[in-house]
Amino acid sequence: MALIDTRDLYKIYTLGDVEVKALNGVSVSIEKGEFVAVMGPSGSGKSTFMNILGCLDKPTHGKYILDGIDVTATDLSQLAGVRNRKIGFVFQGFNLIKRTTAIENVELPMIYNHTPAHLRHEKAMEALKAVGLESRAQHLPNQLSGGQQQRVAIARSLVCDAPIIFADEPTGNLDTKMSIEVMELFTRLNKEMGKTIILITHEPDIAEYASRLIKFKDGEKISDEVK
Amino acid sequence: MWDSFYAIFKISLKAIFANKMRAALTSLGIVIGVSAVITMLAVGSGAQKSVTDSVARFGTNILFLRQPWDLDESISSPKDVTMDDVYAIRQVDGVAAAAPYITTSFDVKYSNTSVALSVLATDPDIFLTYDWPIESGREFTQREVDDYAQVIVLGASAAQTIFSDVDPLNKTVVLDNIPFKVVGVVKKTGQSGMGFDMDEGALIPYTTGKVKMNAGWNSSDRRALDRVVIKVADFNTIENTKVDIQNTVRNTHRIHPLGKDDFQLDDFASFIEQAKTMGKTMSLLLGAIGAVSLIVGGIGVMNIMLVSVTERTREIGIRMAIGATSWDIRMQFLVESVTLSCIGGLIGIVLGVIITMVVAANSSIPAELSISAVLLSVGFSAATGIFFGFYPAYKASKLTPIDALRYE
Repeated sequence: MALIDTRDLYKIYTLGDVEVKALNGVSVSIEKGEFVAVMGPSGSGKSTFMNILGCLDKPTHGKYILDGIDVTATDLSQLAGVRNRKIGFVFQGFNLIKRTTAIENVELPMIYNHTPAHLRHEKAMEALKAVGLESRAQHLPNQLSGGQQQRVAIARSLVCDAPIIFADEPTGNLDTKMSIEVMELFTRLNKEMGKTIILITHEPDIAEYASRLIKFKDGEKISDEVK
Repeated sequence: MWDSFYAIFKISLKAIFANKMRAALTSLGIVIGVSAVITMLAVGSGAQKSVTDSVARFGTNILFLRQPWDLDESISSPKDVTMDDVYAIRQVDGVAAAAPYITTSFDVKYSNTSVALSVLATDPDIFLTYDWPIESGREFTQREVDDYAQVIVLGASAAQTIFSDVDPLNKTVVLDNIPFKVVGVVKKTGQSGMGFDMDEGALIPYTTGKVKMNAGWNSSDRRALDRVVIKVADFNTIENTKVDIQNTVRNTHRIHPLGKDDFQLDDFASFIEQAKTMGKTMSLLLGAIGAVSLIVGGIGVMNIMLVSVTERTREIGIRMAIGATSWDIRMQFLVESVTLSCIGGLIGIVLGVIITMVVAANSSIPAELSISAVLLSVGFSAATGIFFGFYPAYKASKLTPIDALRYE
């Protein structure tokens, strides 16, 4: 069975009298271990799609099965646990918590699943090692470069052993050199750790790192090709 | 579980200390509120205690007989309270002593010193009603009363003020141009406030005061007394004794069986009750004033927590995205507001205790700290944190992750 399976997802917003279909019947199936890039112009529905896949939002209609769990039938409040165990997020703006050291940021997801303190520290250090930042554990986000901050965010997405990483424009705020670093890290996580990676981008160069490319336009999937 | 709670507590502390100035100002409201509650309650219970204490020192088995100040107009010829009543009351079963009581203020002169004292004109029975032991010299005698003797017994502080280091015994002081010989000094009683302040006063025979100095209220009857002080032998039968005294006085005043009393008997047991009720009302009122400032402080906490939730909407979104439940978010903000309130509360307790001690030491306002007031304030400040922190925390927990993450 596919790790991610969506059938006829619709997301409809009502703005006054106008109905906007952000998603118009999208069906996608992603297997474990895939590295998928999702592309499309802004307003194409790719972000809405990602938010639903990431259990941050719910579709208006349609079905979404994540690792055997019917997410559409689960209450939004109970999705916190699903996000914690199944999904790691990497955002464009890094989204680290201010005034909180790198290692504390990485430990955060484990606080919410009640991992004992000593284990938390150990696993956070391991994750920081995996992204090559163990020496920066005690630095605050504003003492790190953009690339380093994004790597801390990646470490945070790894720390709960979630099988899936959603990366929403992870290189959008990075220069080319740092972008390459980060993308190589994703490739390694996909190849060596078997993480399923779903990447949103509008840069073709970045999408090149993925092994499958899904394109969106006007709320619909217009192409889906495996390289 | 406790690990996680501790971690959330640390997160909250970090948020508080990230904005020290704001946290300090927010806590200040609670500090003021809690210290106000403590100080107000201390002043309230201190006042209550000082009233009941001074009444209790009077003795609960003391009765006062006097003409009412608001005498019933239907009584055509009211009779004054006189020595006849004193003599009659002394015969009543259950009465230990009865003494005449006339107070006036006099300038008491000795060599170059002149001091205004309140002077009680009475007879030796006064020493049986009040606990006024003689320190040096003696009480004046019934014989001296009968002889209109010009003798005086001074209170401890009064003697000190007039004579300082000189031994007052057998010295002559002048009141209203009449020389009096000092025959005794009463031990310091420490009583002040209600009733006659013996320490600052003096005692003379009522005969001398009444006849030679025209002391007491202006009455057609030259024998009129201000009051009669009566000591009842047994407090447990005071009600029966009161009835007996009442009948006796009606008799001496020749009141018709159907006529109304032209006198009243004040009973201090009921006065203590009244004072206690008054004190409680006062404590409640003062406590309420303190509570209002605590509520104002709580609103300050709520206000700043709402600002904090709005400011950290994005942070809330991040936490939710990585697995924080609504409960986790609610706890985080609740712990933050409770911590703010409790820090304020602790400082407030210290401040309140200090203010109370300073007030008690430097003013005539009696203040009495009570553990219950302190505990009440601790509970109240924690409750303030929970109550006023709940809505902001609830608001934070109701955010959807996607809206929170999109918030700029």
